[in-house]
Amino acid sequence: MPIVEKSLVRVDRTEKLELEGIDVSGDWNTFLRSRVWTDLDVKVADWVRAQPGGDTIDRCWQCGTCTAGCCMHTDFGLTEFNPRYFIYLAQIGYEEELRRYAHTIWRCVSCNKCVERCPKGVKVEEVVHTIGSYLERTGAAPESPADRFDRAYTENLLNRGILDEAALFRTYERLEGRKTPTRELLRMGLALFTSGRLRTGPFAHRTRGWGKMREVLRARLEEETRQRRVPVPKPPVGAGGGR
Amino acid sequence: MNPILVLGGGPAGLSATAELASLGAPTLLVERESYLGGNPKRWHYSLLAPDLRPAEEVMDPLLERVTGRPEVELRLGTTLTKAERTATGFSVALRSADTTVTREVSAVVLATGFDHFDSRRKFEYGYGRYPDVLDFKELEGMIHDDKVLRPSDGRPPKRIAWILCVGSRDVQVGNPWCCRMGCAVSIKQAVEIRQKHPEIDAYVYYMDIRTYGLWEDLYWKSMQEYGVKFIRGRIGQVTVAEGGSRLIATGEDTILSRPTEVPFDMIVLASGMEPGTGTKQAAELFGVPVGPEGFLTPRLSDLNPVDSGIPGVFFAGAATGPKAIPDAVTEGMGAALRAFQYARR
Repeated sequence: MPIVEKSLVRVDRTEKLELEGIDVSGDWNTFLRSRVWTDLDVKVADWVRAQPGGDTIDRCWQCGTCTAGCCMHTDFGLTEFNPRYFIYLAQIGYEEELRRYAHTIWRCVSCNKCVERCPKGVKVEEVVHTIGSYLERTGAAPESPADRFDRAYTENLLNRGILDEAALFRTYERLEGRKTPTRELLRMGLALFTSGRLRTGPFAHRTRGWGKMREVLRARLEEETRQRRVPVPKPPVGAGGGR
Repeated sequence: MNPILVLGGGPAGLSATAELASLGAPTLLVERESYLGGNPKRWHYSLLAPDLRPAEEVMDPLLERVTGRPEVELRLGTTLTKAERTATGFSVALRSADTTVTREVSAVVLATGFDHFDSRRKFEYGYGRYPDVLDFKELEGMIHDDKVLRPSDGRPPKRIAWILCVGSRDVQVGNPWCCRMGCAVSIKQAVEIRQKHPEIDAYVYYMDIRTYGLWEDLYWKSMQEYGVKFIRGRIGQVTVAEGGSRLIATGEDTILSRPTEVPFDMIVLASGMEPGTGTKQAAELFGVPVGPEGFLTPRLSDLNPVDSGIPGVFFAGAATGPKAIPDAVTEGMGAALRAFQYARR
């Protein structure tokens, strides 16, 4: 049977190993990590509960009504976006598993169907976003290609106040260490040129009076980044009550 | 009129006796133990679900209504050894210590109740072997005295698990029925502990939560106001952690679809309800039909749940199946009325 859960495969890899002049580097052993879950922790739930918007987390009883109607989960087919599951992982404090969804969790489009339908009055949309904040603040999420793209996009936009597609593409390629075949580049370049979006470098579009706007936005972004570095506040002991 | 015999001094029997006395009917209340009050008194129940009222507040008024009444003849520490039908009712032999007396009674109310399942029979949970695995009826007494401590070392627990359906819904022990009380009582205990000791984390392992009807409120409150956590899955076995005294509950978290082995300081077993020994004896003596589960079977459980179908024999309380105290009290009233009508016919 093929191993579906690739994240559980642990490979003992020897990068460079020579024995009596013979190169024997490579994968020496493959293990499956144990899937036994051995702890229950109230830390995550306590933190989420203490935040505005996270206070209804204790109500969830895992019926799945939210996920059943979730447009991300069903309409867009992003089945790994499962609000019910995120809430459960936070409730039992299974951070390691939760961390795997650190990026997915932000894909919510706040349609709020889940909030409308929840039989227990869980503010699912808010709770899920609060769990996302927890992951972000605890630095639990490793940077993904999507993160790097977001960063490049923001920088690009901040530069002149209007997107420079060609520059964004170049930056992204550099960040990911990718090389697009020349034929593909020509095809894209032609499309950008005919649509008038190949104005890059000194010919790029500019937004009038952007300098001041940029300053304001930068200041705000820095402020937000600083806030994110604030360590997760510890909830009071036994904060298990309250809504 | 010969007295009406009420067999069993638990909530149902007390309620039947109190009603018969208020009707002016001579009543003979026979109880096997040396005290009245049944299981709630025997195990020092703390607060009663779902209203979280102290057990004394519920039981004491019932006891008051039967003590010191001229209509009520009380026989404690007494068992029934023989019952024969006569022209006017039954002739019964009552044995206490080493004396046996024979009495004529006009009708009989069987309020012989239930016994808690003996958790040692679910040997995989280690009850009786590990001191920190408790039966929830024992925890009742601990909560009642506000002494929730690990029996092994006398230290307060940091994390407690409740295992529901121990000896219920389980063909391995021959008890496929639901005890109806286990969920509510376990949740109530978790709430009581979280109220007094919010530093203790409470987890309930469940297959389904059956806090039926208006009792649902207790379940919701336990989550929303007291932070009791619910994990879906039936624990397979309890072991002791290597080199330590903590218990390890092995199970499957069916929401994670993943095996779990979680340490706990104390594990509480929600033991089910079985027909009481008195119920089995009474069924034999009066030739009352018994269902496959061993509980007494009313002739028409929907139309007349307190009638046995045998003239002059009536049922009340958990003798006919797992029952909450309010239901037992109500059935006591119904059985009293039916027995009274029969005795006066």
